Amino acid sequence: MSATEIVFYCIAFFMIVSGLGVVLARNIVHSALALILALGAVAGVYVILTVEFLALTQLVVYGGAVIMLVLFALMLTRARERPQALFGKNRPIAFVIAAGLLTAFVAGIVASEWATTNPDDIEPLPFQEIGDVLFSAWAVPFEVISVVLVIAMAGAILLSQPDQGEQ
Amino acid sequence: MPPLEHVLVVSAILFSIGVYGVLTRRNAVNILMSVELMLNAVSINMVAFAIYGRVAFDNTFTGIIFAFFIVVVAAAEVALALGIVVRLFRNRATANVDEVNLLKW
Repeated sequence: MSATEIVFYCIAFFMIVSGLGVVLARNIVHSALALILALGAVAGVYVILTVEFLALTQLVVYGGAVIMLVLFALMLTRARERPQALFGKNRPIAFVIAAGLLTAFVAGIVASEWATTNPDDIEPLPFQEIGDVLFSAWAVPFEVISVVLVIAMAGAILLSQPDQGEQ
Repeated sequence: MPPLEHVLVVSAILFSIGVYGVLTRRNAVNILMSVELMLNAVSINMVAFAIYGRVAFDNTFTGIIFAFFIVVVAAAEVALALGIVVRLFRNRATANVDEVNLLKW
């Protein structure tokens, strides 16, 4: 087992533990903090898979922007006031559904034959190739996604504005 | 690098955790966090297929571009959804999804 693999399994373990923290924490602020760790671990998996560009994007967008928004929303909705009612009534059903889904996924993954290259022969993907493709073949989707982002921001501002006559 | 199956299993576990969170949590912000977990699990899948199948698929890596777009769309989605949650809290004084039954009859 190579060093990369050991690091991968450590990161995977860490990711799953912090994912469970997001879902099971009694304090919602704690689950937001666990989300930071989980998303950071996902960035670590990207580094293992040699896509450093995506790892950086992940850290900047999720670790910076998304977590900030989530924490601000928690502050504005004063979510800590009633900690006794965090979970709904359907926990057993939800557990069965999630476990069944996981079993189905794992069974499918194990049963399939994947036409992959030998993991040891994989070359790291240079930044430049991603940039070339992003601004040639994917240029139109790239522009469209930036328009989507602008519209979403404008919509979010519009949504959170107070109504007329409201304080 | 770890074999492809292991990466896929890890992301399947993360996705199932996200599903459990979406189904059990009552707070809307917390449900959003679980959705983020699910989106990230799918992104890991896309990146893994792109990297491990690069030679098999003629040196294209569309999966990475898709993961990149998922990050952008998730940012937009979080901004809008949190705007809705804040709005909801102002109107109904709760952020719990099971207490918002305006459309129930």
